[in-house]
Amino acid sequence: MIPFEMVEPTSLAEAVAMLDPQDPTVRAVAGGTALMLMMKAGVFQPTRLICLHKIETEHARIAVTGGDELRIGAMATLSDVEKDANVASRLPVLTRALRTLSNPRVRNVARVGGALAHGDPHMDLPPVLAALGARVAIAGPAGSRELPLERLYAGYYETVLEKNELITAVTVPALDGRRAAYMKVTSRSADDWPALGVAVSFALVDGAIRDPIIVVSAATEKVTRMTAAEDVLQGAMPDDTALARAGEAAAAAASILADAHGSASYKRELLRVYLRRAVRQALVDGAAQVRQ
Amino acid sequence: MKQVGRDIPRLEVRAKVTGRADYTHHLRLPGMLYGKVFRSTVPHGRILSIDTTAAQALAGVHRVITGEDIRKLIPEPYYGPAFHDQPILALDKVRHVGEPVAVVLASDPHIAEQAVQLIAAEYEELPAVYDELEAMQPDILVHDVLKPAGTFADLKHLKGRGGTNIALDYHLRRGDADKAFAGADHVIEHTFKTQQCLHLPFEPFVSVAEPGDKSLTIYTANQSPSFVRIEIARLFGWPENRVRVKVAYLGGGFGAKLYIKLEALVAALAMIVRRPVKIALTMEEQFYMITKHATTFRIKSGVSKDGRVVARACEVFWNGGAYADIGPRVAQKSGFTAAGPYDIEHVSIDSYEIYTNRTPAGALRGFGVPQLVWAYECHTDLIARELGIDPVAFRRKNLLRNGRPQATGTVLQDAAIAQVLDAVVARMGWNAPFDRGSGTMRRGRGIAIGFKAVISPTTSVAMVNISADGSTTIYCSTVDVGQGSGTAFALIAAEVLDIEAEAIRVVNPDTDITPYDMGTLGSRSLFHMGNAVRLAAEDARGKLRALAAEAGLPEGTNYPPAEIFKKRYGMQAGNVIGTASYVPTYNAPDAKTGQSDNVTPFWMVGGSGVEVEVDTETGKVRVLRLINAADCGKPINPGVARTQLSGAAIMQLGFTLSEAMQLDGGQVTNASLADYKIPGIGDIPPMENELVDAEQHSGPFGAKGLGESGTFGVSPAIANAIHDAVGVRIMELPITAEAVLRALRANAGRPLDDE
Repeated sequence: MIPFEMVEPTSLAEAVAMLDPQDPTVRAVAGGTALMLMMKAGVFQPTRLICLHKIETEHARIAVTGGDELRIGAMATLSDVEKDANVASRLPVLTRALRTLSNPRVRNVARVGGALAHGDPHMDLPPVLAALGARVAIAGPAGSRELPLERLYAGYYETVLEKNELITAVTVPALDGRRAAYMKVTSRSADDWPALGVAVSFALVDGAIRDPIIVVSAATEKVTRMTAAEDVLQGAMPDDTALARAGEAAAAAASILADAHGSASYKRELLRVYLRRAVRQALVDGAAQVRQ
Repeated sequence: MKQVGRDIPRLEVRAKVTGRADYTHHLRLPGMLYGKVFRSTVPHGRILSIDTTAAQALAGVHRVITGEDIRKLIPEPYYGPAFHDQPILALDKVRHVGEPVAVVLASDPHIAEQAVQLIAAEYEELPAVYDELEAMQPDILVHDVLKPAGTFADLKHLKGRGGTNIALDYHLRRGDADKAFAGADHVIEHTFKTQQCLHLPFEPFVSVAEPGDKSLTIYTANQSPSFVRIEIARLFGWPENRVRVKVAYLGGGFGAKLYIKLEALVAALAMIVRRPVKIALTMEEQFYMITKHATTFRIKSGVSKDGRVVARACEVFWNGGAYADIGPRVAQKSGFTAAGPYDIEHVSIDSYEIYTNRTPAGALRGFGVPQLVWAYECHTDLIARELGIDPVAFRRKNLLRNGRPQATGTVLQDAAIAQVLDAVVARMGWNAPFDRGSGTMRRGRGIAIGFKAVISPTTSVAMVNISADGSTTIYCSTVDVGQGSGTAFALIAAEVLDIEAEAIRVVNPDTDITPYDMGTLGSRSLFHMGNAVRLAAEDARGKLRALAAEAGLPEGTNYPPAEIFKKRYGMQAGNVIGTASYVPTYNAPDAKTGQSDNVTPFWMVGGSGVEVEVDTETGKVRVLRLINAADCGKPINPGVARTQLSGAAIMQLGFTLSEAMQLDGGQVTNASLADYKIPGIGDIPPMENELVDAEQHSGPFGAKGLGESGTFGVSPAIANAIHDAVGVRIMELPITAEAVLRALRANAGRPLDDE
């Protein structure tokens, strides 16, 4: 690793001001779990890292807002979210997903903002939060803006963030009786990056699916909503036929990449199977939730 | 016995878990330079130019060295245990991606790393060959001529052979296989393949060389310090005593750190710049150092109506990569047992070590045997299926038993093949009802057994020192890579000397101090060095008795050693040093027929039984239960012995289900732990590990080696279990979920697209 400069701003405005929109070798670092790997591999050679640790406290809060939404500060560690009581009671799917995300050492260090801004399609938080209808708050030199999370991603390791913008928080609406599940499929070792991630959420009205959100990750170049499959499931009873049709619709629509985790046709097959399993899982988990 | 057979923690374990143990990675010497390797980006090419100007000009760079600089120091700078074919840095040609071409030396490793990126090499690219079967044809030659090292007598005949990529061809003929096939009721033939994978010790390769006055000291993470000394001395034309090789604890080896790796490079660099030089590879660089052979194995059996295997023909093709390393010996020595642990009258075996333009392949926990067991135990299962015989009954009917000649003609002794099979079968409850699952989750069971002849002839020398206070030290060059060898030797010496094993100190290898050993390889240490330590301890005991007699003590005295020394020398003074060397007898196999009445001093036996669950919608295989059994004779330290069994099985589990080096145009595309997946804790199945009741009569207190036996049965047992569960047969490792789903879908007439 080649030496570089490290600066430690003490406020968000200072941090944003230190970012250089023209220079890709200047980057912000929060937990550093992804960036350090890129640096060790020589893929990223910084000249300056803007370390966000000194602005942590005010941006690490997890709280329920007046609008009954959950606001997670970008500097919260993944462990903070995993262990948060509000998250566990309001969004159990998120707590469950975090328990399978990497390992405790990484979760103790990695930050929510970094996990969303990194843009690696294999990560777990983006599909789960996208299926929950989350929005990200972004700060830049001109002020702040908010985006639906699914619109954050532009391509493989690409986001719509400007080089001098930082994610400050993610806001997740209340589930409000919606069912949700996330399934992560590894094709090699258990701790591998997923070959496919499928996250779903939907309301259930008289046993029929209403307003489904279906999000695919890992197999595609970016986190992607499967609107064709959502259309199939809108108003449908979650039976074998409907789920098979939804799986077919997703498999036909998704732009799936081949890589070391499997061929495109294999991953397409996984998508057919796991879309069905994810919906079933959401029904089971939701039912358990109601019984409690 | 008071000491042998005790279940004790490894003597060094406390130092390791408290961070006090010495590793070569920690070593920093005054004035030391760090070397960073510049590597070839082409799989096969003639070197046109290497421009080091910009790297040399970078502030902080001490010097940039290329192969031509080394040629000025050493006129023939080629090394290797079997062949002298590997240049210290590439000369004239490069033969695989990742081959070392130049080295930057700097006091700051970061500067060396930065400077490497400023080196530019130009190559005239040559056609390359990656597949072992394609390389059997001499269309693309990796080397112009074969250069056997002369170390091993049975490779000398290859000298000067050219126009071929076949580095070694090994042949065995017993009976008349062709004739027997013609008369057999069934002739069944299959081809199996294994993938290129690698050792990946968590301590990557690291070596330091320190030049002295007409001498060199090498500190290195290596499994064979005596060989390093001999090879470095040969390269410099020096006597052995001017080279000192010191080895600390190793963070794993598995055969990667065998013979000579970075040592020749750091030695040459240190001699050129006259300063200590350290090279420590990254995890990623390990993918360009040494690997496990990919193989193709064609196996054919003639079987009688009543289920007797009457003839077997084996053709094994070993993908050796660009340099021979120990590959020719892997092809030959594993060839002895390629037909499996069965009593077969007519056998023919042909085994070929083949050069290709890949990272070199060497020995990896099994010395080739796991690749063979994969094929012959899948084949055995398929024959049993075809004949409609229970796979256990079929094996029992054909099993090779003690007192019967093995394919080489050597009569089997002290090989508990039947007991290992029985142990696996008993634990599996083979004849009890079995839940086969339902719906999309199906269950199956499989077993497999294998055996191995320990490499021979090899020599071990040991010294046991008793100091004047009676405290005892063992000096030997066996490297404790984590297998607990030092603790085992302490138990053996303690048994002879009637003292506590924990009170004995075992000195880490240092060729100025510890005597010769062939190397820590192929499960040979416990038997060979164990015997040497036992004999050296007996020698020390005899000398102590003589000392007692000299001191005027009566014969059979039970005076403690400290009293004897004091009586003899008048104070706490003196010591006795017991020495011994051990080399077993051996008769080289006939070059044409491979026959010999004594090819090995002992046989290792290992077997596995597995239960799997297969998800028929995704092909995902979950191992629900893994049973491993082995014959290690009488275990010296049973707890550690069982962890050798489980460790080997877990390693092989990775080679079975997930590990594979992926190659695209000669480039390794997954050279990192993120993309090359070894098993994690979540992949470890419930395991049972059993050491069967056995004895190796020629071993130290009845013991023999065990480091590899746990690898033998795992892969074929899993493939056999998958077949049992869902009716498909996977012929190639690794058995990925995708491979299983593809087989299932092809079987159902709905094949998956190739894209």
